[in-house]
Amino acid sequence: MNLSNIEMQAPDASLLKSLPRDAARWAVPGLLLALAIATPSLSDYALEIGIRLLILVTLAEAWNLLAGYGGLVSLGTASFVGVGAYVLTGAVNQMGLPIWLAIPAGGLVAALLALLVAKAVFRLRGLYFTVGTLALAEALRLFMVNFKGFGGATGLFLSVDPPGLKQLFWIALGLFVLTTLVMAAATGSRFSILLRAVRDDEDAAAQIGVRPFRIKLIVFMLASFLMGLAGATQGLKLGAIEPYGMFGIQWTVSVLSVVIIGGQGLRAGPVIGAVFVVALSEILADYPALHLAMTGLILILVIRFAPRGLVGLLLSRKPLIGVKP
Amino acid sequence: MANFDVIVSSLASGFLLGGILALIALGLSVALGVMRLVNLAHGELLVCGAYLSSFLMAAVGLDPLAGLLVVGMAAALLALPLQRLLIAPLVSKGMEPPMMTMFGLSIIAQNLLLLGFSADTRTLEAPYSSRPVSIGPITVPEVYLIGFVISVVIVAAVHFLVAHTAFGRALRASSADPAAAAVMGVDVRKVHALTFALGAACAAMGGVLIGTAFSFTPSTGGSYLLISFAIVVLGGVGNIFGTLLAGIAMGLLQSIGAVVLGDGYRDLVGLVLFLLVLALRPEGIAKLGKA
Repeated sequence: MNLSNIEMQAPDASLLKSLPRDAARWAVPGLLLALAIATPSLSDYALEIGIRLLILVTLAEAWNLLAGYGGLVSLGTASFVGVGAYVLTGAVNQMGLPIWLAIPAGGLVAALLALLVAKAVFRLRGLYFTVGTLALAEALRLFMVNFKGFGGATGLFLSVDPPGLKQLFWIALGLFVLTTLVMAAATGSRFSILLRAVRDDEDAAAQIGVRPFRIKLIVFMLASFLMGLAGATQGLKLGAIEPYGMFGIQWTVSVLSVVIIGGQGLRAGPVIGAVFVVALSEILADYPALHLAMTGLILILVIRFAPRGLVGLLLSRKPLIGVKP
Repeated sequence: MANFDVIVSSLASGFLLGGILALIALGLSVALGVMRLVNLAHGELLVCGAYLSSFLMAAVGLDPLAGLLVVGMAAALLALPLQRLLIAPLVSKGMEPPMMTMFGLSIIAQNLLLLGFSADTRTLEAPYSSRPVSIGPITVPEVYLIGFVISVVIVAAVHFLVAHTAFGRALRASSADPAAAAVMGVDVRKVHALTFALGAACAAMGGVLIGTAFSFTPSTGGSYLLISFAIVVLGGVGNIFGTLLAGIAMGLLQSIGAVVLGDGYRDLVGLVLFLLVLALRPEGIAKLGKA
């Protein structure tokens, strides 16, 4: 991604001025309005898919913020999803917190985890962050499986009844709105310039007065907060959590494939990617192993032939479709 | 003093296993040092080696250790087209695309193994795999001792290859400065292909030893990948002797962790150690940071 920056500049600049920005400005609220009107009449299946999609989009947005905008390619998504789910369950079961407080608690503790491990994973630049986050996820999973304190390998049950599908859908929708706002703020402000400066050349950024560690820490905590919220929502949806599922590598795999297939560092990438990945998983729902193998294959093909993902493919054809003069 | 015997024996086991871990980590280290490739499919190459050995055993009754070199050669031959097809076209795109490609490959390999062999736990049964050897108070499974000796021999052979042969010279040149090496007539593409094959062979042979000493499933690879990374970080990229020492240190620490905390914590100790090393003493790999 570091090398493709140069090519990315030109389309990005025109993108800021023209059609996609206006489209994005109206598309998201429009979509939300449509969803809000449609929700009462949606079937359970549609709600279920919708919740999955919204949680996945949230995770993918957070991952895209880290990797696409910050150059921090994480393989530790599962750590923050798992922490969010466990904190939600613990806060409800042990402290009796209401759900609307327990979900943010999951996000906050996930952000604290990011703060805690930041020293280790940022010490070395570049791909050691990737390997460090992978090690973190695996270490947490092994710990949760072996340590008896949090239910061990069998996991925990939520002591209150999980909310119904409609209510969960509203929660997931709220999560998506928050994510969209955070992303708009993080990618449309001065912060995004600092972030890209650090991504593109840490030394040069440091020389003109940017503090790379602080910028990376903020973005890592922000992304982890969103991931923790998503994990908490997932835990609420399941009502029963166990370490293999909540800390499992499949979170990392699906989130990463969503962003890479959709288009890394592009605003619309996560949404398009999530729709594609959820559709693929529904088509191959009965063949989980085949589904994962296919995901791996598509990942390899996209990296090789469409480095900017599906959205990148669409954008590169933009002149044919026609742009506002 | 039974307790003392148990502790000494498990430390000895850890020491010996550390040699095998060093062999596995060496494969990762050469790919990282020479090709700048973070091979996230390293664990799957290891598991493929174990399954290949298991297949050879069932098909022609080949003993795992007798077939060790066969598996190593087969892995190297399999790795060559993989490198040509997947890694070589991405060589000018920085470190991330090849790494992600290997991640994709690891998912594919893991799930194809799952489809082909199911998730059942397997072991490579050989007469020496459970037979104990005793020296004084120390009792270890014979296969640990054999595995250690074989691993050290292979590590020494790789050291000889890198330090004293024409290929090794080309390899070191490509590692230090690929552009300059290419100008001086080194076929960097070929060196990269052979380096990847060498790494795959180390992983596959390590997999046979692991499969003989322990058990394996299609998803075993991930934890060996991470342990290998920890060893590479501890020992320093491209430092073969350092890798051997770090492997042994890792084996010892894992055994101590298993004795003190329980067997489930064996891998956890290695991972926590890795994160601690990253936080406190990353100098050994600092030169790679800017690549």
